[in-house]
Amino acid sequence: MKSLRFTPAILSTVVLLVLTSLMLGIRLEPSGVGLKVTMAETSSLYWIAAGAVVVFFFQLFRAPIDRGMSGIKQQLPSVPKEPLRQIADKKGFKTTLICFAVAGLMIWPFFVSRGAVDLATLALIYVMLGLGLNIVVGLAGLLDLGYVGFYAVGAYSYALLNQYLGLDFWSSLVLGGVLAAFFGFVLGFPVLRLRGDYLAIVTLGFGEIIRILLNNWTSITGGPNGISQIPKPSLFGLEFGRRAKEEGNVPFHEFFGIDYSSTYKVIFLYILAVLLVIATLFVINRLLRMPIGRAWEALREDDIACRSLGLNPTAIKLSAFTIGAAFAGFAGTFFAARQGFISPESFTFIESAIILAIVVLGGMGSQVGVILAAVIMTVLPEFAREFQEYRMLMFGLMMVCMMVWRPEGLMPMKRPHIKIKSKKSETESSVKIPSVAESV
Amino acid sequence: MPESFFYFIQQLLNGLTVGSTYALIAIGYTMVYGIIGMINFAHGEIYMIGSYIAFAVLAALAMMGIDSVSLMLISAFVISIIITSTYGFAVERVAYRPLRNSNRLIALISAIGMSIFLQNYVRLAQGSRDIAMPSMISGGWTFGPEDGFHATVSYMQLIIFVVTFISMTALTLFISRSKMGRACRACAEDLGMTGLLGINTNQIISITFVIGAALAAVAGVLLGMYYGVINPYIGFMAGLKAFTAAVLGGIGSIPGAVLGGLILGVTEAFTAGYFSSEYKDVVAFSLLVLILLFRPTGILGKPEVEKV
Amino acid sequence: MIRKMNKTLAALAALAALAVSAAVAGASGLAQAADTIKIALAGPVTGPVAQYGDMQFTGAKMAVEQINKQGGVNGKQLEAVVYDDACDPKQAVAVANKIVNDDIRFVVGHLCSSSTQPASDIYEDEGVLMITAASTNPDITSRGYELIFRTIGLDSLQGPTAGNYIVESVKPKRMAVIHDKQQYGEGIATAVKNTVEKAGVDVAVFEGVTPGDKDFSALIAKLKKENVDFVYYGGYHPELGLILRQGAEKGLKAKFMGPEGVGNKDISAIAGPASEGLLVTLPKSFDQDPANAKLVAAFKAKGEDSTGPFVFPSYSAVQVMAEGMTLTKSESPEKVAGALRSNNFKTPTGNLAFDGKGDLKDFSFVVYEWHADGTKSVASK
Repeated sequence: MKSLRFTPAILSTVVLLVLTSLMLGIRLEPSGVGLKVTMAETSSLYWIAAGAVVVFFFQLFRAPIDRGMSGIKQQLPSVPKEPLRQIADKKGFKTTLICFAVAGLMIWPFFVSRGAVDLATLALIYVMLGLGLNIVVGLAGLLDLGYVGFYAVGAYSYALLNQYLGLDFWSSLVLGGVLAAFFGFVLGFPVLRLRGDYLAIVTLGFGEIIRILLNNWTSITGGPNGISQIPKPSLFGLEFGRRAKEEGNVPFHEFFGIDYSSTYKVIFLYILAVLLVIATLFVINRLLRMPIGRAWEALREDDIACRSLGLNPTAIKLSAFTIGAAFAGFAGTFFAARQGFISPESFTFIESAIILAIVVLGGMGSQVGVILAAVIMTVLPEFAREFQEYRMLMFGLMMVCMMVWRPEGLMPMKRPHIKIKSKKSETESSVKIPSVAESV
Repeated sequence: MPESFFYFIQQLLNGLTVGSTYALIAIGYTMVYGIIGMINFAHGEIYMIGSYIAFAVLAALAMMGIDSVSLMLISAFVISIIITSTYGFAVERVAYRPLRNSNRLIALISAIGMSIFLQNYVRLAQGSRDIAMPSMISGGWTFGPEDGFHATVSYMQLIIFVVTFISMTALTLFISRSKMGRACRACAEDLGMTGLLGINTNQIISITFVIGAALAAVAGVLLGMYYGVINPYIGFMAGLKAFTAAVLGGIGSIPGAVLGGLILGVTEAFTAGYFSSEYKDVVAFSLLVLILLFRPTGILGKPEVEKV
Repeated sequence: MIRKMNKTLAALAALAALAVSAAVAGASGLAQAADTIKIALAGPVTGPVAQYGDMQFTGAKMAVEQINKQGGVNGKQLEAVVYDDACDPKQAVAVANKIVNDDIRFVVGHLCSSSTQPASDIYEDEGVLMITAASTNPDITSRGYELIFRTIGLDSLQGPTAGNYIVESVKPKRMAVIHDKQQYGEGIATAVKNTVEKAGVDVAVFEGVTPGDKDFSALIAKLKKENVDFVYYGGYHPELGLILRQGAEKGLKAKFMGPEGVGNKDISAIAGPASEGLLVTLPKSFDQDPANAKLVAAFKAKGEDSTGPFVFPSYSAVQVMAEGMTLTKSESPEKVAGALRSNNFKTPTGNLAFDGKGDLKDFSFVVYEWHADGTKSVASK
């Protein structure tokens, strides 16, 4: 029985016991004003024992298990892709698909509960943020850990413009994006010559500085009190509240002579989010096909080659940074409108980390992946509400497992590429023209 | 001597105390970065776990009726270092080793995930409330004018200085003199080549994580006793500050981490002392940005060579 | 070119549509038939302030249990459903929408003012009655809402109580006001500062600290240098505990005072002997009221801690809700809100009556003196 590995099995079990002994095995309890140690509940001791047994046997039979796993992997049939592609290439099909998809997205909220629509709206905000950060991290390859700063700029610009100048959502949406882009430009200018991890920590610093300044500047931003009663967007001057908040405005339901239902407001916000996401996708896809988009990717792949070809890396990085920031600004403005209340605690570092996780989980550079990841990251915790105690634990675990098992993300980015066949296959089939995969 | 002089000294001492603990944690970041070029985001949580273990040991000993402070301290250090190092070892095996050859970002996300996981693991095991412990070593030295402001150094602060100094010296000796230390330096220089020369690089990387975790445990024990309060969330901020310190000093350089930690600590103390606590973090981060603008690889960092 | 892009867009849009709808449709729960009256308890189950959430849940669940034992409300049983907002404003909005979605018309919560505020917008709009037992920020009830109530005092009330006590009884020579830059702490600290400054007390230092920070030595040196003999701290106990502890070590000889957020046994565990003599403004400590002895015993029987400041206000919140339903014989939040405004309720936190804004007409804070063993006694005037 050479495949049984006793030493590593015993070792791993010992490691597990050491790890859990003074953490799960005991409980620190305050007693009066002192501290005492008690044994943990019997159930958690059982859990430790069960864990130890599982680890022991897993390590013991590791070799056969690995063999079995690889056997399964080989047996899995691969899905033939050609027929699908042919269907997808048919003329008219894509137009139909767009129509169906958009129609589905628009009609769907009328048939489900308002909580679901609201959740979908939140997911769409993250889709927007993910797509924006995807430009910076996924396409241009700049590690930005302070993206949430620009999100905050967008949210606060709507809140402040509305509070002090009385601007409505629509003009603030534009201004919020522009302001965030401006911040991205100004902050990006000095720091973009830094490389890799230095850039990461500086952007992290900027994100924190923006948040702390918002928190300390009480006279303007309300400091920790935040800004409340931010109006919801209106549809051509029609408001969605029970009563119109502004003089001369007519509530939506009165205008159409239907009964008041708060669901309209939620659905309206949702549809707005869908439109914003579609606009974002449209703009980004255009940019990607422009020289600038190509330059982003080229820069990510090879800095030096890029410079040798006469591209100006600073200008390219700056454009990615600025455009990425602009989308965060749009998302922020919308977030402020959906939330109705914002305070600096919504813009902490962990938010940046989550957006970054969305980009990486989705597969860097891949927009489909980012959308999928954003939806999963927002909706999955809701499913797990039953286990709310364990929610964040599982979230962390999922991030690790995903990276270990599928580091390229859910939907890796595809790009036009030509595979040079190895010599052996060349001799077999004379010259096969390599297929050019579609880029996303 | 004028009162303001003693005030200055007091703030300097305060800054150096905080700075030395930043330095202890920062070394973990910098060593890992120096060898495999990844940011071990979960390092702050390792420090937090070190604090918890120390509290458990101290409370257990107190319950057994042992009241010799030195015995308690030594056992807290030893047990905390052993268990926390095991955590460092396990984290590397589970979350980072499978990603050794992948993109930097992948490892970073895995590390962030690990950080969230560990934080919540401790929360579930020990609850989210603050756990406090009475101070064991109190008192200190005072110097300055009889009337008016006088500077104070508590014994605990002294212990922090001394232990930090000892750990740093031991680490420097280990890295510069021992065979293992030479292997570590070789790995930092060129991981692939070192492997070709017959050194077990996986083992060296494991050792790096263990040393980093052990130093984090030292910081955990010291700070846990100095402040007397721990909760599952302390690791995050401490880790962030230590990471900043590591980058400030030039990530990958051990003297840089120490220097960065001290500079960061002193800057924070002076900002709080002469300006306002509210802007402590803003000034700390602005300093970082400024230094990186003029020295893009940190104070003691090696300038990056562009490789094609 | 355009053709290619359209296809990409189509694929993207289709995917988004599928993913969003499939995922979310599954997530939304089904409304259940109402043979019980559900009360949502919204507050932090996770996150750094979860321990305050526990206080709220403990009190409210006990009330639900006892009311059910006495036959429930209008022949129906109450059912408490816990929702976790982690004290995060974003999650609070999601939770509020979920509560509306689950067809629950009564909410006890939220805990943090910054969560209560955005959530209350939704409750008011959707006709859900909300009573918070812990959020003390004045803004929550100052917006003319009809369905938003609270069973705890306001920061704007607690600040002046503390301020007046400082001016009349402490009479400091030089004082400092420190806060944690959060809505709750800074609100009270500002109110205290305004009150004492009006009375001519010199506030030498007014400064914020970072919540979660552990090292306050720089701040303490500053207080020492400024010769401050009295410090008011607006915030929660972990930070003040550390300030006290480090202050004692560094020889800072000042008296401290704080709001109910610091009035927690843990402060003595953190600060040790340094917590002796700390002044705390607290709602009358209901667990020491002889009239509540039976209730305290009930908590004890369940092995629960009844000493937290939000336990009894949460109990009262559930109780007035139930009594409002009984009085109006209905489950309509609007009618219950009307009944709450026009009636008096005898609860463990005293005789409660609500004003037009939804605040308690009469809620008094008492200044207590804290002792090193975690107990407190009424401070002498």
